[in-house]
This record gives sequence, structure tokens and C-alpha cells, in this order.
Amino acid sequence: MNIQQSMTVRGKDRYKSGVMEYKRMGYWEPNYEPKDTDVIALFRVTPQDGVDPTEACAAVAGESSTATWTVVWTDRLTAAEKYRAKCYRVDPVPNSPGSYFAYIAYDLDLFEPGSISNLTASIIGNVFGFKPLKALRLEDMRLPVAYVKTFQGPATGIVVERERLDKFGRPLLGATVKPKLGLSGRNYGRVVYEALKGGLDFTKDDENINSQPFMHWRERFLYCMEAVNRAQAATGEIKGTYLNVTAATMEDMYERAEFAHELGSNIVMIDLVIGYTAIQSMAKWARKNDMILHLHRAGHSTYTRQRSHGVSFRLIAKWMRLAGVDHIHAGTVVGKLEGDPNTTRGYYDICREDFNPMQLEHGVFFDQNWASLNKLMPVASGGIHAGQMHQLLDLLGEDVVLQFGGGTIGHPRGIQAGATANRVALEAMILARNEGRDYVHEGPEILAKAAQTCTPLREALDVWKDVTFNYESTDAPDFVPTPSMAV
Amino acid sequence: MTQAQEQISETPLQTIDLRHEFADLGIGDVLDQLDSELIGLKPVKTRIREIASLLLVERIRQKMALATTFPTLHMSFTGNPGTGKTTVALRMAGILHKLGFVRRGHVISVTRDDLVGQYIGHTAPKTKEILKKAMGGVLFIDEAYYLYRPENERDYGQEAIEILLQIMEAQREDLVVILAGYGDRMEKFFQSNPGFRSRIAHHIDFPDYSDGELLWIAELMLQQQNYRFSPEAREAFTRYIGIRKEQPLFSNARSIRNALDRIRLRQANRIVAKLDRTLTADDVMSIEAGDVLASRVFAKGAGEGR
Amino acid sequence: MRVTQGCFSFLPDLTDEQIAAQVQYCLDKGWAVNIEFTDDPHPRNTYWDMWGLPMFDLRDAAGIMKELADCRRVYGDRYIRISGFDSGHGWESVRISFIVNRPREEPGFRLDRSEAAGRNLRYATHSYAADRPEGERYADQ
Ligand SMILES: Nc1ncnc2c1ncn2[C@@H]1O[C@H](COP(=O)(O)OP(=O)(O)O)[C@@H](O)[C@H]1O
Ligand SMILES: [Mg+2]
Repeated sequence: MNIQQSMTVRGKDRYKSGVMEYKRMGYWEPNYEPKDTDVIALFRVTPQDGVDPTEACAAVAGESSTATWTVVWTDRLTAAEKYRAKCYRVDPVPNSPGSYFAYIAYDLDLFEPGSISNLTASIIGNVFGFKPLKALRLEDMRLPVAYVKTFQGPATGIVVERERLDKFGRPLLGATVKPKLGLSGRNYGRVVYEALKGGLDFTKDDENINSQPFMHWRERFLYCMEAVNRAQAATGEIKGTYLNVTAATMEDMYERAEFAHELGSNIVMIDLVIGYTAIQSMAKWARKNDMILHLHRAGHSTYTRQRSHGVSFRLIAKWMRLAGVDHIHAGTVVGKLEGDPNTTRGYYDICREDFNPMQLEHGVFFDQNWASLNKLMPVASGGIHAGQMHQLLDLLGEDVVLQFGGGTIGHPRGIQAGATANRVALEAMILARNEGRDYVHEGPEILAKAAQTCTPLREALDVWKDVTFNYESTDAPDFVPTPSMAV
Repeated sequence: MTQAQEQISETPLQTIDLRHEFADLGIGDVLDQLDSELIGLKPVKTRIREIASLLLVERIRQKMALATTFPTLHMSFTGNPGTGKTTVALRMAGILHKLGFVRRGHVISVTRDDLVGQYIGHTAPKTKEILKKAMGGVLFIDEAYYLYRPENERDYGQEAIEILLQIMEAQREDLVVILAGYGDRMEKFFQSNPGFRSRIAHHIDFPDYSDGELLWIAELMLQQQNYRFSPEAREAFTRYIGIRKEQPLFSNARSIRNALDRIRLRQANRIVAKLDRTLTADDVMSIEAGDVLASRVFAKGAGEGR
Repeated sequence: MRVTQGCFSFLPDLTDEQIAAQVQYCLDKGWAVNIEFTDDPHPRNTYWDMWGLPMFDLRDAAGIMKELADCRRVYGDRYIRISGFDSGHGWESVRISFIVNRPREEPGFRLDRSEAAGRNLRYATHSYAADRPEGERYADQ
């Protein structure tokens, strides 16, 4: 890495049979200047002991593009130099001996237009099991505008979602029906009705609510829609419930989605585990059927959580914005699930901005232009409650769904009271923020004041006043390491 | 509510450190700026200092819960064109804002055509639109007397006047109106519209500038743009002022500004006419006598100051 | 019942001072402010009637509060809402919206169900207010 020059073998020797180092095959090109149309990937590479870091990074470029373990003459039937991914920069990771950031550029022709499956099959296809590496993590990608434009993007987007729901200027409120498993359709609908009537905008199926012996999917859909319509008439406000259509086959999913549509639902839900192709199919279906598409990121932590190996969640967020979902769970910072504040800010920016400037302290390694692709609504869910409203608003902003599952259903005076507590806390905080008050510091006072005219809020504040989740984050940015927010 | 009013709701204060209050508000800076940026205008500057003092005391009285009503702040600025009325209105808005008597401190400057419509039903929305834009700041109505056209009995100006009067009374806390124009015509206007006169708290008269002040203004304007007269050019410009003043459509400092614009043009032409040379900063800063003397003002029988 | 559309329906009705603060927030963001009224608050009734055009380029809330007062004088028996509109790229939509006036009695909505094939139901939300002709809906208040 000190000698920043190409080691690529040129001429006849390049294609002599046998094994050749990747860095000599053309996968290490320190003088390469990425084109505007290149896809750029940033990997965290941890080579096995004794493996030359440059060679390891070149191997990642090779294995995620054209190379195999030996020289093949058939390369000469192609414009091989164009198709070879080029590692053009290798930096040691700060405070992390033995790990390196490898910047690799890929020509746009390597990828099928509008296909996340194809994109990921290349970039994270084989290479993560490559033996000379101890660990490998995909940290970020720069997607060229030319490629972004081949994707549909969010079926509905934040702006149109708000217009359809007639809800502006505040985060949306939701709750996941609890207990996760075991409720019958009739009981399940009761929870939905109470929560929506009490003041939430949405309720939500959990990721593993599909069609089980205690509640088959049609029962759930029918009772839920009765609840939604009743709550809508009781409040004069548009309401919704994310009906999870995740199923074993695409045919089953379409059948469930069609039924939700027939019943007048405005939103359906899928789980990340259904796979990228199925997600893109559902996004197309949602666009065609005026349906908001909620994605639960079920399963992501198996590969996103550890800093050394896997895929950063920021890539999942990027891919899902391209793929076309409208909602994605992106962390809460203060709740029960993993989430460093700066890293989480990076995820939210990826979902919501039209342009992301490079911002290393948020883990955003590249400028990313979204070329007016719809904005993706982040969802904050897991272990949050009304008493944190000022922090949530400060950390997550206004374009977000705040999901208070336990924080609604666990209210001592019932679900409606829980929902009302959350809604009043939220409205009071927005009011104060817009009035120019220092709501972050005065948050507890603002809530206490609002509780004077809202008993449910006072009870909620009393019950959950001491609940916090303070653990060290496992995925903080490398450039400004910070522990999880202490609240 | 204005800042000044908000203070009332707090517990009334017993004592106030005057110097501290004065420094805190930063009106000293605005007044000093007025002094240094505007040449002459002695009586105007004195009046503005008086008004600022009055309002400072008013503010203190509010803090002590001694003020009973919100003061009327509407003003009339009379004087010939180019005597600095618009410029002073901008400074006035700044002072009122710093003292908390207007919330935003912007100035919306209008004439009759911005307020009065062409047909029935056109005027009220136009006037209201302007008033809404000016809320929180100062509405500056130049040549205000054109609003009133007694010769035309069905003139829509009357409608604008009524709306204005109503707002000037009812929303004193939201808006300060400054009426501006020639002294004699304003006087006639007030005679026929006593409603305006009674709502105006401060009348300020802007005198014409002396020749010396006009030269001084010219030098100040040049200096702000990094130009300067050569001694011969200064002498020529002094003559220019003397002649120009006697010609029609003379409008004090504005005529000076316009003359300087044309002089700069001639200077540039003169410089570019000789391409084969190296220029110094001095060359491009200096205005020469020829740049001034080429003015048509010096040609006998010339009309407007070209 | 209480229609809970808009940003602040769960709080006690806003005072004029509170409304002015929200309006000022919109103006400080550079949004146009619009006053709308209706006598049919059906949740899918998107187009309330406009009280004049949206107000662009204002600096201070006082002008809008004056319009609101005028609107209330004429339509004080109906729902009135204020919204802030952002013409910025990527939004070009409403950014905040809240109710500032309500009829004294809010009659609410009836949910009509009609049975369809199997256990399916077709739902319709019906405004009680709309049972009367437009313009007379809250007349006896
Ligand atoms: N006393 C002064 N000193 C410096 N410049 C002045 C002075 N009075 C007026 N000006 C300049 O002359 C021009 C016209 O002034 P303005 O305030 O518009 O006059 P009015 O409103 O009385 O017609 C402006 O460019 C202003 O800066
Ligand atoms: Mg003027």
C-alpha cells in the first residue's frame, strides 16, 4: 500500500496458464479513477494472518467480479479489463489492527438493470466465504445515478403516504399487536380497534404472524378491517393496519395481498426473509394497487450486527429503497434493539434524503444521489414509550413511524388509554418544538404539563419512567466511536 | 405579541440599569450607523434619537408595568426626492425591531399602484395582500398623497385609505406605517384626510442637501465602491452639482448616485480605449476630470442630466 | 365525538396565541399558509374550500390571524383548518395541517356495512352532517 502503483501483468504473460496473484491480474489498480457510472463498494477486509492486505483486497475485487482461482484463457474472448472490478484504494481501519477498508469499483455493465438479486449476487455472492479472509464486511456502496434510475423505488413514498393518510407535520404512531403469537382473529381485531380508536394511526402484525393454527390469515384480515373501519368512523381519521402477507410462495403472497386490497386495506406488510426478488415483486404489486408496503427487517441482525463480518444495515436500507418498499425498520437508538445514534442517523438519511453527502461520523462513506427516487419512511420500533418523546423527535425527526407496542398495550388502564397517552405526548411535543421551545431539554416538563389534562399520559409516565436500555453498541462508526445513547 | 408586550406579563421590575439596557438592545450601533452612513440630515438624526429615547423609556415603563397602552408609531417623512427618506425608513425599522416594537423589522415599500386596483372589488384584496406582507414590519408608502384623488369621485384609492386607517388603528402592534412624499402635498393630503393625521405620531421633515453635502455624499458613494476623484475631477463635479441643481427633475442624493453611475461608465470606456498598457490599481480607481466633464449637463441648454 | 384529523386534535383547542405560533413556524420555514373550511369532515374529503388563495411570502403571522378571524366570522359554525405548504423539491406538498375551528356539536360518522360474498363486508363511512344540504349542516348551532 505504500507503493501506490499498478502491479498488473501486461501483454502475453498475463494469460499464461497457472495461478497468479489477484493483484497482478488487474484487480488492484491504485491509479484507477472511478467513473461516475461505476458502482463503488467499500469492504472491511480482515485477511488471515500472513496474507498481504493488498492481495486480500484485490482478491475481494476479483472474487466479486470476473476472477476465479486460476488464469483462464477464455478471459481473452471478452473485454476483460472493463469487467474486472478494480480495487483502487486500501486504508487501514482506524483503531483496528489487521483490518483494512478496500474501495472497489465495478463497471455498470456488470449488473442487470433494476435487480437487487443480481447486484447482491455479485457483490456479496461468493466472496464472503473466501478462505484467505478471516472476515469480510460490506460497509457501504455508491450507486451511480444511472443505476438508481433503473429501479422503481418506494411504491408510495413518504409524501404520497402522508397525502393518502391526510397526516402531516408529525411522526406517525403505530403499535405491534401483542402477544406476538396465540391471539385468535377476533381477539386480535380487538387490540387493533382499541389502539386505533385511542389515537394511533397504524397497528401492525408482527414478523412471524402469518397463518397459524391459532389464527388463519383470512380471519385476521377480516377482523382487522372491521377494526380499522370502526376506528375510522369513530375518529373521522384515516387508519391502517399492516397486514403481513408473508407466506411460503409468491402465489400465496399475492393471494393474501389481493384479499387485503379487496377489503380496502391501505397497507400490507412483508418480511425481509422473503428475499430480494419477492420484495421487488411485492413493490411492483403495491405500486399497481395503491398500497403502502411495510417491510419488517426480520433476520437482518444475523448478518448486520457484527462489525467485522457481514453486511452493514446501511446497505439493506439502500437496497430496500431501490427495491421499492415504503417503510423499513431502521432503529430507535433509545429502545431495546441495537442502534448507535450516529450510525442510525446515517440509516435515516439514506431512507429520507434526496442526496447523502459523505459523512464518515455517520458511517456514510460516499456521496449518494437518489435522483428523486421516492423517500422511504423509517420505522422506529422496540422498547420505546411516551416518556421518551422528546428524545425520539430529536433523534429521529418528523418523518418516521414511532411504534409503541408494549408502550401502548401495556398501559395500566388499557390499550385506548395507552394509545391516547402516546398521541397526546407526541402532539404536545410537536406543538412545543414548533413554538421554538428547547423541547429536548424541557421535554419532561412539556410532558408533565400535557399530562395535567390527560390522565392516561400521566399514568404512562409513571409506569415507564425508569425504563432504559443502556448497552454498548456493537456497530458504532469507526471514525467517531461512541457508545449507545445513555437515556 | 411583541417582545415589548411579553415583558408585561412577567413580574414588574423595580429598577433598571439604563446603560445596560441600552447596550443590550444594540440601538446605539444602529444610531451610530445612521450617523456615519448618512451625510448631513442633522434635524432628522436628532428627531430619530429623540424617538429612540422615547421608545427606550416606553419599553422600560412597560417592564415596570407603568405603560398603559401600546404607543402609536406611525410616521410621516416629508421632503423632496432623494433626501434619504427610504434609507432612513430602513434604519427606523431596525431600531423599532431592536426595541421590540415590531416583531420582524422588514420594510415593504409601496406606491399607490401596489394598493389600489383597476376595477370594483380589486382594491381590497390588493391592499390586504400588501398589509399581510408588511405585518411584523414597516409599510412604507411613497408619495402617499396619490392615494387620494378628490377630482375623481369614484376613485378606488378611497377604499385603500379606509382599509389602511382601520388597520393602523386596530393593529398598531402588528404594523408601523410610514407615509412619505413632498412636504406641501403631504400637508394638503393630511388636510383632506384628518384620519391619517390623527394616527401619525411622528412627523419628520427631510431638508434638501447643500452643495457641500452633495459633494460629500458623492465622495462617500465613490469610496464605498473603491473609486475616488482626482483633484481636478472633484473640482469638475462641484461645478456639475451647481448646474445640475438648477435643472428639472433634480432629486438630491439620487441624482448624485445616477451621475456617478454614468461617470463610472465613461471612466471604463476611457480605460478600455487604450488596450496596450499595464494598469495599476490607481488607474482603475481614479475618476478624472474628463469623465465628469463629458456629461451633457455641461452642454448649454441640455435638459435632464444626461 | 371529536374529529381527530390534523396535528393537534388530541390537545385542548389551541388559543389564538398558540395558533399564531404555529403559523409563524410555517412562515419561518418559507411555507405558504392556507386556510380552508368545510361542513363535511369525512376522512377522505380532501378538498376543503379555500378561504382565498394560499398566502405566500408573508413574514409575520398577524396577517394570517386576521384572515382566520374573518373566516371565522363567516364560517364559524364549520371546521376550519390551517395548513403549511412546502414548494421545495421532493416535497411539493402539505407539511403541517391542523384544525383551528369546529362546530359546537360534532355529529360524527356512521359506519355502513353491506354483506358481500362469504364473510366479506363492504364498508362505507357516512358523515351525519352530510344528511343535510350543504350550507345548512350546522345551521341550528
Ligand atoms: N444623507 C445621505 N448620505 C448618503 N447617501 C444618501 C443620503 N441620502 C440619500 N442617500 C442615497 O441616495 C439615494 C436615494 O435615497 P432615498 O432614501 O431613496 O431617498 P428618498 O426616499 O427620499 O427619495 C440612496 O441611494 C441613498 O443611499
Ligand atoms: Mg424613496
